[in-house]
Amino acid sequence: MALLGLENISKTYQQGEVEVQALHHVSFEVQEGEFAALVGPSGSGKTTLLNIIGGLDSPSQGSAHLNGTDIAGLGEAELSDFRLFQIGFIFQAYNLVPVLTAMENVELVMVLQGLSASDRQQRAEHYLELVGLKALMHRRPAALSGGQQQRVAVARALAAGPRLVLADEPTANLDSENATALLDIMHRLSHEEKTTFIFSTHDPRVMDRAERIITLHDGTIISDEYHHTHEQQT
Amino acid sequence: MNVPAYAQHSKMAFPMLFMLAWRNLWRHRRRTLITLSSIAFGFGLAVLFIGIGDGSHNSMIRNAIKMGEGHLTVQPSGYVESPANYKFIDNGHELMERLEALGIRGTVEPRIALQVLASTASNSVGAALQGFDTTRDQRNSMIRPNLVQGAWITADDPRGIVIGAGMAGKLKAKIGSKVVLMAGKRGGDSEAQLGRVRGIFDSSIEEMDDYLVLSNLHFARYFLVAEGASEEAGPVTRFALFLDDPESMEQWKGVIASSVASREVVVLDWQEMMPQLVQFIVVDDAGNYVFLLLILMMVVFGIVNTVLMSVLERTREFGLLRALGISRRHLLTLVFCESLLMSLLAIGLGWLVGGSIHLWGSIYGIDFSSMMEEGTQIMGTFMDPVVYTELSWNRVIQLTAAIFSATLASGIYPAVKASRILPVEALRT
Repeated sequence: MALLGLENISKTYQQGEVEVQALHHVSFEVQEGEFAALVGPSGSGKTTLLNIIGGLDSPSQGSAHLNGTDIAGLGEAELSDFRLFQIGFIFQAYNLVPVLTAMENVELVMVLQGLSASDRQQRAEHYLELVGLKALMHRRPAALSGGQQQRVAVARALAAGPRLVLADEPTANLDSENATALLDIMHRLSHEEKTTFIFSTHDPRVMDRAERIITLHDGTIISDEYHHTHEQQT
Repeated sequence: MNVPAYAQHSKMAFPMLFMLAWRNLWRHRRRTLITLSSIAFGFGLAVLFIGIGDGSHNSMIRNAIKMGEGHLTVQPSGYVESPANYKFIDNGHELMERLEALGIRGTVEPRIALQVLASTASNSVGAALQGFDTTRDQRNSMIRPNLVQGAWITADDPRGIVIGAGMAGKLKAKIGSKVVLMAGKRGGDSEAQLGRVRGIFDSSIEEMDDYLVLSNLHFARYFLVAEGASEEAGPVTRFALFLDDPESMEQWKGVIASSVASREVVVLDWQEMMPQLVQFIVVDDAGNYVFLLLILMMVVFGIVNTVLMSVLERTREFGLLRALGISRRHLLTLVFCESLLMSLLAIGLGWLVGGSIHLWGSIYGIDFSSMMEEGTQIMGTFMDPVVYTELSWNRVIQLTAAIFSATLASGIYPAVKASRILPVEALRT
């Protein structure tokens, strides 16, 4: 059984008096452990689709299932818990709580999950080490570079042990070197932790790292193909 | 690393929320400090004004009790409602013995108070004749220092009276002048006695200086004997009880009432004896409460402004937190914690400021004499021109609770606003 199943998802927004069709009958499945990219130009519906998968938004039509849970059928409080336990988020920017250190940011979700202090500290340190930031774990976001902040966000997303990590243009604000480094870390951890990643991008360098590329155009899937990544070829 | 088996419901992590709230509070250090300072300043003012109010009221009450009929008064039933010279306690000596037998911690003073007409060859004025024990009554220490002419009355002086300067002026009386005191009797007759002015006092309290005629018990008793009382039984119109510990008033009132009260005799406390003074204090307190209300409003707007601004500035951050799985309840608690911490800090700082002002005011007093050119008399008593601020524990609790509730209440709106943030919209900002 697929980890994620989207069936006939449509989303319509009302923008003033204009009705905007953000997604149009989108259907696909994602298996556990996949490292998939949602690609397409701005306005193609990538963020909307990620928001629906992550339970931040609801579809106007269709259904989304994660690990057997009908996401659209969850209430407000259940959606919070669903995101807390099942989803890891990495956003484009401003991912971290500015008054918390890198370590505390990684711990934050685990605190709400109810993990003991020793467990969450151990996990937070472990994941910060995996992203190469253990030495900077007591720094606040303002004292970290953009690339380092995104790596903290990756550590936070993974430390909480989600079934699925959703990353919305995680490299959009990074320079080429940092973008490549971040993608490398995400890819490596996806394999090591056997965590499913879906990320949106329109950056060809990022697409090159994806094992599956789902292309959206005007809210419709125009292609969905698996391909060998740069690392797999070498 | 294995994924732990999580429970599927979020936990309310208070330590983390408090830590976040505390740090959020200091994001804009200057703004928080300005808000805290304004609350503390307002609170300090409230403490000062309430302290002055209570200090002046208590001063008036103490003086009224001292000049008046004590903390407790034993007197004939119905006297307050309808004062009359024929309402007296016939068996004064016996009642005095019973009161003394109770072991009251304080003093019991037998008194005779009568409404009379005081006349000289020049004029006649209405007067209040007060007969008292010239050896131990409070009036000895209260009025005797204000004697401006002549001598104080003695217990063995059969005709001696002391009058106020105001009355002396109206009657054109001097030391040694004869003054005829005439009191109405039951049935329409009257009783007249001749008094001789031994001394004149000037207390600066118009009501005393213009109307009071002081004598020993023996002289005042002539009028009660004329009403049919037996002089040997020691008739009086009342006993004034001055307690060492005013806080024990209610307790002693009960003890005395159960021992001596009857159909003819009642035990009244000073509030029942001086309802006008109580009313005045209630009205004056109401003014202080209005002032306190204005300060609370200032506090509320200060906190609402600070917390709401901080909430609006963090819309995207709240969106992020909601996306990560923080529930509405958590967010509401977080913002409420910020108000709570702000409120605790404000109260701490407020008491530091207000408490210091109060401490200073309670030790050195605040001199209002320049503002009281027309005298300090109010409702038949007087207020000391130097007011020492007073705050009872009840007031401390009341003020703290008022500021605490106001600050907490002011956190509700920003907290609700934060909890209603929709993550998908907030993340777009």
